[in-house]
Amino acid sequence: MGEVILTMNGIDKSFPGVHALDHVNLEVRKGEVHALMGENGAGKSTLMKVLTGIYTKDEGTITYEGKEVEFANPREAQAAGIVIVHQELNMLNHLTVAQNIFIGREMMSGKLINDKKMNEEAKKLFHKLNIDIDPTEKMGKLTVGKQQMCEIAKAISHDAKVIIFDEPSAALTEAEIDELFKIIRDLREKQLGIVYISHRMDEIKVITDRVTVMRDGGYVGTLITEDSTKDDIINMMVGRVIYEEPKTKSNVAPDAPVILKVENLNAGKMVQDVSFELHKGEILGFSGLMGAGRTETARALFGADPKESGDIYVNGKKVDIKNPMDAVKHGIGYLSEDRKQFGIVVQKSVAENSTMASLDNYMNGIFINKKKEAEVAKKYVESLSTKTPSVDQLVVNLSGGNQQKVVIAKWLVRDCDILIFDEPTRGIDVGAKSEIYHLMNELVAEGKSIIMISSEMSEILRMSDRIVVMCEGKKTGEMSISEATQENIMHAATLRN
Amino acid sequence: MICVRKVLYTLELEEWEVEKIKNNALVKKVGFNRVVLFCVLILMYIVFAILSPTFLSYNRILSALNYAYFLGFLALGVTFVIATGGIDFSIGPVMFCAALISGSLLTKSGVPLAVCLIISILVGTVFGVINGYLVAYWNMPSFITSMASMMLAKGVGSAFTKTQSVSWPQSSQENGGFRVLVKVMTGSGTQIPTGLIFLLVVAVICAIILNKTKIGRYILCLGSNKEAVRLSGVNVKKWEMLAYVICGTLAGVASIVYVGAYTTVQPGLGDTFNNDAIAGCVMGGTSMAGGVASISGTVIGVMIIALLQEGILAMGFQKDWQYVITGLIVLAAVYADVRSRKRKN
Amino acid sequence: MGKNEKKGNVFTNNPLVRAIGTQKIVVVLVIILLALLFSIMSPSFRKYATVVSIFDYSYYISFMAIGVTFALITGGVDLSIGTGMIASGLVGGYLITHQGMPVIVGMLASIVLGLLFGLFNALLIAVLDLPPFIGTLGTMMVARGLGSILTGGMSITWPAASVPQGWFRSIFKLTIGNVKFPLGFIIVILVVIIMSTFLNRSRPGRYIIAIGSNKEATRLSGINVVKWQSLAYIISGLFTGIAGIAYAATFQAVAPGTGAGLELDAIAGAIIGGTSMTGGYGTIAGTLLGVFVMSLLKTGLPFIGLQANWQQIITGLVLIIAVLIDVLKNSKRA
Repeated sequence: MGEVILTMNGIDKSFPGVHALDHVNLEVRKGEVHALMGENGAGKSTLMKVLTGIYTKDEGTITYEGKEVEFANPREAQAAGIVIVHQELNMLNHLTVAQNIFIGREMMSGKLINDKKMNEEAKKLFHKLNIDIDPTEKMGKLTVGKQQMCEIAKAISHDAKVIIFDEPSAALTEAEIDELFKIIRDLREKQLGIVYISHRMDEIKVITDRVTVMRDGGYVGTLITEDSTKDDIINMMVGRVIYEEPKTKSNVAPDAPVILKVENLNAGKMVQDVSFELHKGEILGFSGLMGAGRTETARALFGADPKESGDIYVNGKKVDIKNPMDAVKHGIGYLSEDRKQFGIVVQKSVAENSTMASLDNYMNGIFINKKKEAEVAKKYVESLSTKTPSVDQLVVNLSGGNQQKVVIAKWLVRDCDILIFDEPTRGIDVGAKSEIYHLMNELVAEGKSIIMISSEMSEILRMSDRIVVMCEGKKTGEMSISEATQENIMHAATLRN
Repeated sequence: MICVRKVLYTLELEEWEVEKIKNNALVKKVGFNRVVLFCVLILMYIVFAILSPTFLSYNRILSALNYAYFLGFLALGVTFVIATGGIDFSIGPVMFCAALISGSLLTKSGVPLAVCLIISILVGTVFGVINGYLVAYWNMPSFITSMASMMLAKGVGSAFTKTQSVSWPQSSQENGGFRVLVKVMTGSGTQIPTGLIFLLVVAVICAIILNKTKIGRYILCLGSNKEAVRLSGVNVKKWEMLAYVICGTLAGVASIVYVGAYTTVQPGLGDTFNNDAIAGCVMGGTSMAGGVASISGTVIGVMIIALLQEGILAMGFQKDWQYVITGLIVLAAVYADVRSRKRKN
Repeated sequence: MGKNEKKGNVFTNNPLVRAIGTQKIVVVLVIILLALLFSIMSPSFRKYATVVSIFDYSYYISFMAIGVTFALITGGVDLSIGTGMIASGLVGGYLITHQGMPVIVGMLASIVLGLLFGLFNALLIAVLDLPPFIGTLGTMMVARGLGSILTGGMSITWPAASVPQGWFRSIFKLTIGNVKFPLGFIIVILVVIIMSTFLNRSRPGRYIIAIGSNKEATRLSGINVVKWQSLAYIISGLFTGIAGIAYAATFQAVAPGTGAGLELDAIAGAIIGGTSMTGGYGTIAGTLLGVFVMSLLKTGLPFIGLQANWQQIITGLVLIIAVLIDVLKNSKRA
């Protein structure tokens, strides 16, 4: 490790209602691979966005190559030599590799583009990095792993001095990860500073020199990888005080009937041979880190995405769910993660959104019984304390949290026996959160059963009767609430194999 | 919707006066935009009447109405499609195809009038099914699909009558009775525009369907956010296709009114009517992005287009001015819609 | 997430096939098949005059199609090319026949008017962000009326081949002795070569493809997306103007109020030739081949007894099939 190339000191950033970064520090040296770890929502990508100029910091300093800097946008950062390789690659799939790398700064011969020269330069670049890719290949035809390497090559060709990898191995095969590490080691040798954002413990151990851990927007500490254990890191990631009372024992009798059974569900890389059971009156928490495959599992179960194989039993009877219509018919409701995109119809009112999944029950012959619709909408506006001037208000005018409540109402109106809540309290203020928790407890008391996907540890521990943990498409842990701790959940959430 | 504030500003109404108008109960029910549009219609008439005194004659109004009837049915139909976020460019030629086929059957093959009228409507329905199926179940872009079926309609209609035009019977002749749908002559020789009543009745039915039935609800919702509706367990493919079926069927109905007003149908034409119908629709407040639609707006929009067309003729300008103005109206309406959406986001 | 490298089969992995593109080869086969079909079913098809006729009909569609290919590659479309072409032909011809201008001025006017339509489209779509199909639809309507208004509603006939002013017609059809030589085809080939080079080897062409492939990524790479997207529509407009000349040169008269529908032949040609409606991919050579299919159909169908209305039916069906194939191609890729 060489001298310090980048220092972020006391970075503070707030958004309306959210203190995203609380005096965070990060120091990167030349010739170092520095891991940045933390749970979902810890603030890792926010920190990087501040660095590259997508966000403006409220407080703190960024020192790069000895000088204080503030980048106005990613292109300025790139010009200075700081580049991010994103998780979601944004490539020009119809152009070739070489054309992608040199987009915007094509090599010309006279008035025409000299593709031949660009191909040669790209080949040289790949050779330097020991990557084996044909620069004349169309980008869209490459695997994600190879596309990522092209992105790295592009960064190098921009004379990058600091490269930030955001969850690089998420979409790679084992072989590709090995190749990636070879390249990273090579870059380290060349005295670049590398920030490696990941939650994969074993990778951190293999490739990184130091680890900085963030938690809930704050800086926890920095360790030297060689001298630390997995437990040390996990403790730093989760070592928070939970103010709410975690549940200590399940409310569900051990002999409660199994209302939903999923066996060997397979849907691509994100859902691999997942099996679990849901008991009547139970809240089953689904924990895991981003990319664990929980949403994908729920969507496959709900029929929103096609599945390759798997059997689903509702109340002991095997059911065939090929699309959301089938799922809803069998009494399953799904509250998606992203409510604006998947949950609400913005041009319609609270009342109209509330009956979206149950319109057949609110008909008067061929006409919609708007009175009945308004009544049921009002009922849930009250019980969920949705802030809206009336049930005729268009949902586009409500705040995010209240929009979420409308989506919840939709499924409650349908009176599903099985409800899948995907991040139910994301983006909702503390007051509303406890209302939703209260509601969930009421629902299971009535005999409904809930699968709750959540990335908030305190929420999982507070609400679940049992917990299923997933990691990268596989189920890696299952425990009752009495056995659950933050640590053993996180262990399972980072368990690969 | 066209920037209403700017329009009112030029009329020099105070801000508070505008608010007072907006809060009036009747205005609220009908929709502020629609009220403005209606005022535009009245204003247009007054301007035309001043510029060309013949405009004050009853006959002028009837002539404009003739144009408005079939256009109105076309526009009502395409409102449903635009509400889903799609478009249907085949409506004009489908209308003609229906009129040609059933007219040919009536005049050349002696098929009874009632059957022919039903066939007219069915031809429209068939094209609606084709368009709807390709768009909803095969995910084809609606504009190209409907343009292709427009060609099909032109070709089929023409092939059926062997490129001959078809003239439907006059009201005095046998089988001419259907014309009562469009106009009724009283003893003293004045014409009662029954077509207007027919159009308004159907418009009211369409408004009820759109606002008070399941079909309308699902169509509007899927136009706004198809995926959210799908994830709520609704069969979006079925409802999206239905919008096109409704559109095609109404085009079939339009064919009856068309021949009722104009008697003769020629093969190979019809696409100018597409543009007029779409223009009337977007002027009335139906958004091309889907999810927002207004039947009353469509009707008033169509009246404006019909009046415009009549006015241009009356003042002796070339018919081509209608194309230019209609084109600019469409662009202005869509631009206003795009901008207001951007602002909301 | 992860994508497997496409394996392909023996045919598609052949380097020559890959260089040309499988779709184009299929189209060539279709052309040959159609030509054979028509020749067998109708002896009068096999005359040289028919070949000349096929070429005649192909010129204006070719130019329209070459222009609209650029709009399609950006992921958009230009529906105004049909009426725009007629308007350009009307105005250019009007200046010659009614204002006594030399033919070259008329030709220039045609091109300039096409460019103006292109600029208008560029403003609507690239600057004001209107959806391309409705933006160019508006232009199409305006063009339809405008050409006719500017020329007083009359049909315009550009100078006949027999008069000295009719020299421009021999650009497309050269009469040497008794033989009519479709010179226009050579011109079209030259234009194809130039525009193909422009698309694939120049910066503007490269950026137009990039915009169609991923507009946001292109913007993030620092490229002026508004400028280059505008260019695509300006090119489309330019070729609309050129098509106007070709139309006037191969037909007797340019009639106002016509033109709507012709754009579909051009767009169908482009899609048959492999241009993707979703953008990012298109070849000028492929477009030309696709246009040839359309031209062949248009001219050949009457020879087997199918009149104009059947041409429309078949054009409609061909368009549906071509778009369907494009949709399927894209869904497989996703």
